[in-house]
Amino acid sequence: MTFRQARWDEPSIWDLAPSTPGEPAPAIPGLPERMRRRERLHWPELSELAVLRHYTRLSQMNFGIETSSYALGSCTMKYNPRVSEVLARRKGAGELHPNQPESTAQGALELLWRLERLLTKVTGLPEVSLQPAAGAHGEYAALLMVRAYFRDRGELERRTEVLLPDTAHGTNPASATMAGFSTREIPSKDGCVDLESLKSAVSDRTACFMLTNPNTAGLFESNILEIAETVHRAGGMLYYDGANLNAILGITHPGRMGFDVAHLNLHKTFATPHGGGGPGAGVLAAGEKLGPYLPVPRVVKNGRKFRLDYDRPKSIGKIKTAYGNFGLDLRAYVFAISHGEAGLQHVARRAVLNSNYLGLRLGRFLPRPFSTLVKHEFLLSGTPLKARGVRTLDLAKRLLDEGVHAPTIYFPSLVDEAIMVELPETESKRDLDEYAAAFERAVTDTPERLRAAPQHLAVKRVDEVRAARDPTLCWKDLRQRTGNAEKGPPAPAAP
Amino acid sequence: MDGTARSATGSGVARWIPDEPGEEAALLEALGIPSIDALFADVPKKARIGRLGIAAGLEEADVVAHVDKLLDRNRPLSKFSSFLGGRISARYVPAAVDSILQRSEFYTSYTPYQPEASQGMLRALFEFQSLWVELTGLDVANASLYDGSTAAGEAMLLCRRLHEGQRFLVPASLPWEEKSVLRNYATGPGLQVEEIPYDPRTGNLDLEFVRTAVAAHDVFGLLGDVPNGFGHIDEGLWELKSILGTVPFVVSADPLSLTVLDPPGNYGADVVVGEGQGFGIAPSYGGPLLGLFACRKEHLRVTPGRIVGATVDADGAPAYTLTLQTREQHIRRSRATSNICTNQSLLALAFVVYASVVGPRGLASLQVSLAEKARTVASGLGSIDGIQSPRFESPYLGAFTIELRSMGAEVFLDRLRRRRVLGGHSLADPRPGAPADPPRVLVAGSDSTTEKDIQKYVRAARSILGASGGTA
Repeated sequence: MTFRQARWDEPSIWDLAPSTPGEPAPAIPGLPERMRRRERLHWPELSELAVLRHYTRLSQMNFGIETSSYALGSCTMKYNPRVSEVLARRKGAGELHPNQPESTAQGALELLWRLERLLTKVTGLPEVSLQPAAGAHGEYAALLMVRAYFRDRGELERRTEVLLPDTAHGTNPASATMAGFSTREIPSKDGCVDLESLKSAVSDRTACFMLTNPNTAGLFESNILEIAETVHRAGGMLYYDGANLNAILGITHPGRMGFDVAHLNLHKTFATPHGGGGPGAGVLAAGEKLGPYLPVPRVVKNGRKFRLDYDRPKSIGKIKTAYGNFGLDLRAYVFAISHGEAGLQHVARRAVLNSNYLGLRLGRFLPRPFSTLVKHEFLLSGTPLKARGVRTLDLAKRLLDEGVHAPTIYFPSLVDEAIMVELPETESKRDLDEYAAAFERAVTDTPERLRAAPQHLAVKRVDEVRAARDPTLCWKDLRQRTGNAEKGPPAPAAP
Repeated sequence: MDGTARSATGSGVARWIPDEPGEEAALLEALGIPSIDALFADVPKKARIGRLGIAAGLEEADVVAHVDKLLDRNRPLSKFSSFLGGRISARYVPAAVDSILQRSEFYTSYTPYQPEASQGMLRALFEFQSLWVELTGLDVANASLYDGSTAAGEAMLLCRRLHEGQRFLVPASLPWEEKSVLRNYATGPGLQVEEIPYDPRTGNLDLEFVRTAVAAHDVFGLLGDVPNGFGHIDEGLWELKSILGTVPFVVSADPLSLTVLDPPGNYGADVVVGEGQGFGIAPSYGGPLLGLFACRKEHLRVTPGRIVGATVDADGAPAYTLTLQTREQHIRRSRATSNICTNQSLLALAFVVYASVVGPRGLASLQVSLAEKARTVASGLGSIDGIQSPRFESPYLGAFTIELRSMGAEVFLDRLRRRRVLGGHSLADPRPGAPADPPRVLVAGSDSTTEKDIQKYVRAARSILGASGGTA
């Protein structure tokens, strides 16, 4: 496909109009002098149209799902239904304050309650909280629940270890550390948890084993029932990282697989928009052991009335202000009830069909390290590119020139030059074929052109090393740099 | 089920999953398998479920009708004279702000891992970081955290990286939710969140308590908030740095207040966090929100969250990218500075677009006008026997605290509600067993508050408390 991204030499917003240095900030009566801001905030005064033009131009220098196939593995970049955007902006949704009386927010509470009931079915776990703001936030809260559970049983002194496979998302070990556990990696065998290694690693020190299934190699952990038994026999908890739930909706669920607690990412599986990095919405689902430890409040139904229940003596308390990201929960609810029973299963089936088909097509160009029967995503290895003096990074950049988003690269680390591809159920066969054709043009291009990519975007290859070496993180830093530049031309770009 | 015909799936909104005639059949044929079932051969029989047990899918029009019916059971703020505020506010958002948020290039994009394809979002985030730096008087800001309370939690963990000790001091007046979130962030590393008592007359921090605590050499950080949990401005914050010395100082600040207040960087704050929802984001029953985070440059490498930096491209042209990623979970894993992956980028965009549309003069005028309204409400309520309003003798901006002399806060608020007044929110911790606080209510005006709303509140309160004292 011929693709040219817009390239506006758009100034930064503060260069669109002079701010007014020196102008005093207004005084508030009764506010002592020393507490006052002296100069008004330095920021430009612009017309509404000027602001709109600026950000519209910036938006034209950005890929989104509605412009491009977005093949980031483990991110589940599916279509975000427009109808949800309309509904989330209704007065009855947006114009609600979390502190308004429950009697005036019955619809919101009922929607949350209904979504929670639905998610108990999807997860197979009886207790659900929508409080976490994101997946990693849910992981962290779940590990605090595990902590509280073992504290109450008097085992916390001993159970200090969280086990995870070497394919785990980076958030898993980071959350475990924040929750005060030490972490230990279990090596994989053929891309899946090596059961023997797990068996020798579990002990009475094991608090929890964190697992995503299907895993980040796109493989279903077929030993899951034995894994659950192994962890439980050692007295540990089994944690489900729901980032990859899309592949198994309606086929299996964490409860059936033996998990004690799970987080879901509504911004992946349930199609709420990623917003350039957020907001997300996390879900915590727990079995009977950990259910009492879920954060407060819980949404409960009494007769026909809904209310927020704070009377949960074992609860870990709060993990964020208010109760969850209601605006996102509403969108997820829309997605779930639109698809319904058969539809949700169809989501998983089509996502897996797409993934296997694209895996087959792209597997002609680069090796696939493990089994070719995959779930929602698959791995390639860019190792053969090295012989041509090309890296996986170059291939990713070259793909951008085709007008499609690159896969996740260099993760998981157990595969050399890993390329992780996921195009979910909302991509058509035509989209998959176009992606495969773009991939073929990219991977067969000359090393020179691969290394020079991208050429068709708003900028050429971005110098990330320089960004880290000489952190320039705000307007103030840029002004300083410009001040230096007046003494001489800016340093030429590093190659 | 072979999944070849849409009608067979029972899926409601057929358009969301492509289904050109023969499409699935062609995919299956390429794979050389008869049915999608073959692709799930690796899921053991014992691990499978029969069905979810949820309702069949709905068509879009039916979904809209159903959700609208639910939402109609809510009574949005505009149905009341509302005085709800605090960390989450309900202010008018110019239509232009949301029109930018609805650009699908922004809202449907992922974290900008490929900077060349994501310059738009990266530049917007860089502008957002710059704005928070300007407001706070600090050096660097990150690209957002979940909300104000989790930003405070991350700030506390940052302090512990900078300073030895086990105790983190916070105002006793901090909203109970934020204390609870902080205690959760303290659990992992085994830290103590300790409350600083306040002067019962002013609500200000007991600086002697801080002095004594710091002298014990076990305090690794302190958080002060502006306005504080009572809505008031504590002059003591301006004294704290000299008491704390090298102990890190976190300020949690309302961004609008910083258009008229001395930036915390000027009085020694090492970290400034805040809740950014008031800038262009609907309250939406409490989420999504926006966590703001800025700190001093020397602490950059131990800072949590995504950070956008300016650099150049291969031609030397200006370009932007996520930077200093070696701090982050996807690289550093168990040794990361935080587990943050998802943040609140789209809300950060709303923040900077809102500030740019309203402009620096408009923002400051808004704060001035909110402060005027709050004073009018405070003196109106103060004329009623049975209410001490404002409760504390210290300056305030758009919100303040009242105390009821002879009625519980919940009863008072419920009776107001019946008169179509949302009179604020109770400051009490609603968890059973929580210490019983005096009946206090945080009251805030908003830009939509009219003279009539204020009169209505005062009249309703007077009638509920059954007395017409004072001079009003």
